[in-house]
Formats: sequence, structure tokens, C-alpha cells
Amino acid sequence: MDAFVELSAELTGFSAEELRSTGLVEQYRALAEGAPEAEIIQLWYTGVWRGAIPTERAYAEGLAWKAVGVAAPGTAAPGFGSWERGPRRSAR
Amino acid sequence: MRAVVVGAGFAGSLVAKVLGDNGFRVLVLEAGAESNEDAVSRYRKALVKSPLVPFRRTAAAPSSDYVVDTGPHSLASPYLRMNGGTGTAWTGITPRMRPDDFRTGDLGRGRNWPLSYDDLEPSYRAAEWEIGIAADADEQRRHVPIPEGYRYPMHALPRTFLDDAIASVVDGQRIDGRELLVVGTPQARNGVPVDGYHPDGQRCAGFASCVPVCPEGAKYTPHRTQRRWSSTVELRTRCAVNRLHADESGRVTKVDYQRYEDDTSGRHTRHSVEADVVVLAAHAIENAKLLLLSGLANSSDQVGRNLMGHPVLLTWGLMPHPIGPFRGPGSTTGIETFRSGPERRERAPFRIEIGNWGWGWSAGSPGSDTAELVAAGLRGTALRQAVAERVSRQFTLQIEVEQEADPANRVTLAAERDALGTPRPSVHYALSEYVKDGLLASKRVSDRLFEMLGAEDHTAYKPDDGHYFEHNGEPLRYWGAGHSGGTHVMGSSPRDSVVDQWQRCWDHPNLYAVGCGSMPSLGTSNPSLTMAALALRTAEHLVSRAR
Repeated sequence: MDAFVELSAELTGFSAEELRSTGLVEQYRALAEGAPEAEIIQLWYTGVWRGAIPTERAYAEGLAWKAVGVAAPGTAAPGFGSWERGPRRSAR
Repeated sequence: MRAVVVGAGFAGSLVAKVLGDNGFRVLVLEAGAESNEDAVSRYRKALVKSPLVPFRRTAAAPSSDYVVDTGPHSLASPYLRMNGGTGTAWTGITPRMRPDDFRTGDLGRGRNWPLSYDDLEPSYRAAEWEIGIAADADEQRRHVPIPEGYRYPMHALPRTFLDDAIASVVDGQRIDGRELLVVGTPQARNGVPVDGYHPDGQRCAGFASCVPVCPEGAKYTPHRTQRRWSSTVELRTRCAVNRLHADESGRVTKVDYQRYEDDTSGRHTRHSVEADVVVLAAHAIENAKLLLLSGLANSSDQVGRNLMGHPVLLTWGLMPHPIGPFRGPGSTTGIETFRSGPERRERAPFRIEIGNWGWGWSAGSPGSDTAELVAAGLRGTALRQAVAERVSRQFTLQIEVEQEADPANRVTLAAERDALGTPRPSVHYALSEYVKDGLLASKRVSDRLFEMLGAEDHTAYKPDDGHYFEHNGEPLRYWGAGHSGGTHVMGSSPRDSVVDQWQRCWDHPNLYAVGCGSMPSLGTSNPSLTMAALALRTAEHLVSRAR
């Protein structure tokens, strides 16, 4: 098992599969392996690493948005009028 | 006829189009550079997603961050010097002004316009069709006079789930004797067209990043009008106008500008161009700066004065149940009833926007929520659930308060110079008691609305926050809306105004200053639509004079 993914899953409340689906595991491991917990969580949740957003994907895949069940603004087109519907509930 | 238009933003692009369509040779001089292709990418990677952050800026033609702020308050309203101007980053909300907004002088607050709502009404229609506005005429008619039979070019955009949740509680209720009604806000973004209208660009698909950038081009920007320019319109970017020359009769003869190539330095070459007519469309602050630099149009001593903005009060809270924020356009409805009425004599009126993007503007959500919950020790599933619980119920009221024209609020030339060697604009700006009373009254209305909604109020203004102040012992704070106006004010007499009802400078028969700078009052409407209506009216006037 992958220690960085396991720790990330434990800290974020998102499963290893959910984390892998972001495509960011390798990038984040290189940045944050061994970093304090709060920094690892901030990176996964908001895409911010020490005052900067390293890639567009880091922003788009921010787990804070996924927790709420919406796309990060400016990254997805849910469709005309999609905003009328009731909100999607978070997966858990 | 050779026309020089200074500024390729909202007003300049519209004027250039009408003139070009009617046989003028038009040269548009834009101080900023061409717009950048990577704005969406820059937005996504920006730590703070502020309005100007995605756009290319240059050392030679800096944007609003080069304005010297001398207080006592801060104007806090950004503007962008780039092809397309601030109309690239704008929110795309286009309410009309109300008829009484044109008569604020009669209230003893600010100034009257030399034209009425009825005079401007045909130009409103023309602007709404040129820009492409989605709204329902019957719905708008409930708070502003829209002629019978008129259709907006697109049907009203669907409301958000939040709009309906708020309307289902407050519609028909009363505050201070005013009946509440949630009303759809006209939008400059593509929806379903009416018969005979062909929208330019994609239909809004809900990227929820309209300010500052719509990734699919569903929001109107001046670039759309530029694509419709005739071949007689020539655009030159990176050309910062620094002086106009007039002959003894007052006719403007020549425009000087500085052309630069490099984004990072002030290195430039100097040029001049002759013109039969000159239209300044460079933004309220930049137009005033150019007139002051040239020593023109100022026999009334009003150039640069009467600077107004829209101080915005934000209030934010949690609805009793999840409503799904951060979806759709930034604001799709508002409460209009506090925009008018007898209280307007005593305190500034206001318009309440229902904000669809959580606490993004007011508190930096969801990053701020995450940080707070992590700091409180939450981890794992508990953190995930807490973020979902906190963010999914968020909403903000964005309340724009009118500011009356006051000659003491003004743009002057600073001693400091920019990279091209031109004096930077300096701004003296203060909120009056009238504005502060309006902000406080709007806070009280917001308190009542939160109560009705059963919303948990999280609004907090702290002394360390920017633009914090206390009024009648209550903490308040304002935000900037980016709506600067009044600096070349329109009036009915050359003694006390800079331009006439056609936005022509009283002192110079062939010099026009267009844009929000001409507006004697801003009312409580986002001003771009009114600026567009005025620009089209001026362009038609120029065409009819040339015939």
C-alpha cells in the first residue's frame, strides 16, 4: 500500500480511489510527502501549496469543491439552467 | 470624417462601431495591450481570484493599481487598461436606471441629468439589443417603465435554486412598509433567444466564473462588438494618449500618444494624429486625467470632480438547508423595492443582489472554511462532512448603495509619474453621512431578511478589515463595485458641467467625453448598460451631425 495515499485518505476523508482519480497523487507526493498534516490537507482541499497553486488541475480537483458537490468555478460546464435544480448531496 | 476614439473598452467599442457603420474613418487608440489568450488558465492558477488577475497588464499603461489614493476613504474600484477594458472582467448585470434616478438633484442629493429616462429609453432598447440582454419585459415592468410590446432579445435566464428558496419565503412580506419581491436581473449573457435574434457566442453553461472570465464566451464583452466593426475602423493597441491639442476656436486638432512594444518597460516612441472629431472613452478616471493633462474642457472647474462609486455592503449567512452555491451566474435576482421612495431624501437608496457564489466574495470560501475547520482539529470524514455542511448552505447579499455627486470627491494629477513619464491620477474620495446612513439602513434590512429566512447570520465587520468604519456606533464595512463615474459630468449649462446631453464638451465643439464619467448620478444600477445607451446616443448624434 502507498503510505502517502493512505495518509492523505485518512486526513481528507476521501478514499484512495477518489484521490487517485484526481490524477494528482504523484505531483502531490513530490511536493508534500513528509509535510505537516495541515499543509497536506490544504493542498488536497484547495490546490494551494505554500502560497501558490502549482497547476490548473490542482485548482480544478480541489476536494473542498467535491465535498460540496460542485465544480470549481471556471472549470466545468454543468449546462444551461443546471443551477435551477436542487443541490447534489456530497457522496458521503 | 476622421474620428479618433481613445479607449477600446465598453463605450469606445460601441461608438467606433456606429461611426464605422456610417462611413467614418475611425482610429481607436487603446493604451493597454491586446487581450491575452490564457486568461482562463491564469484565473485557475491565481491564489486570489480578484477581477483583474487573469488579464495582461503592462508597465507602460498600468491599471487602477497605479492610482494614488489620498483618502480619506478608498474608492476600491478596479479598472483594466487592456483591449476590451474593464468590460472584459465585468459581471454582466444590466438593470436600467429608474426615472427618479435622473432627478436626484430634486431630492437635494447630487445632481439632475439634462435628459430624462424617457429621452434615454430608446437608447436603452438599442443597447440591450446590441449587447444581447436576457430578461423578461413583464417582470422588469414591475419596477421600471418598459414600453408595451418591447421584447428583450433573449428570454430571462433561469433562476437559481437559491433565488427560489429566498423568493418562496420573502415574496409578499413587508419590511418598513415595503412589499418584498424577488425580481430577475437582466443579464448580458446568452440564454434562449426570442424569434429573430441570433446570439453571438455560446449559451451560458454555468461555469460560475463570469467575473472575471467566462471560459465559453457566453458573457458579452466589447470584443464581440469589435468583431462587428466595419473595415473603416482601425484599432491600435499599446498607444497611450497623453495630450490633446485645441486651436484658438476650441476645436481639437491633434492627439498625441506614446507607443510601446515591451510589456515590462516604459520605453516608447512619440506620435501624433489629426482628427475631425475626438471621442474620449478611456474610463471615468482616465478621461479626467487626459482632460487635466491637456488643460481642456474645464471652464466649469468640474473636470475630475463628482467622482462616484457604488459602495457595496456584503452580508452573508447560512440558509436552513443546502441550496447549492457556486452554481450559475453570480447573481440572477435581486430585491428592487429599496431603490426608490421618500426615504431617498434622507439616506441613500440601495439595491439588493442575491449572491449565488457562497461566501466567495465576502469571506474567501471555501478555502477559508477549510482552513478554519482544519485549524479546529477536524480531519478525515469529519472534515469532509463539515466542509459540505458549511459551504452548501452559504449565500451572500450584495447591496449596492447609491453615492451622490459631490464636487469634493475628485480626480487630480499626482506629482508621481508613471513609466511613460505621465502624471498618475490621484483620487480624493469620501463617503458622506447620506451614504453611511444608506449602508446602515441596508444592514438593518438585511438583518430582517435573515430573520425571515431563518438564516444563520455570519456577517462580521472587524476593525482590521479593509474599508471598515463605524457609523452611529455600529461596525460597517464597504466593498468596491468597480463602478466609477461623474468625472466629466453632464449638465444643462457650461457653467457647472463638463459635457452636454450628447456628451460633447461644452468648451470644444468636436471633443466628446463618453462613459460613466458623464453620469450626474449612478442610481443603484450597475452602470454599464446606461453607459452603453449613452454611447449609442452620442454615436447617432455624431452621425446625424455629419450628414
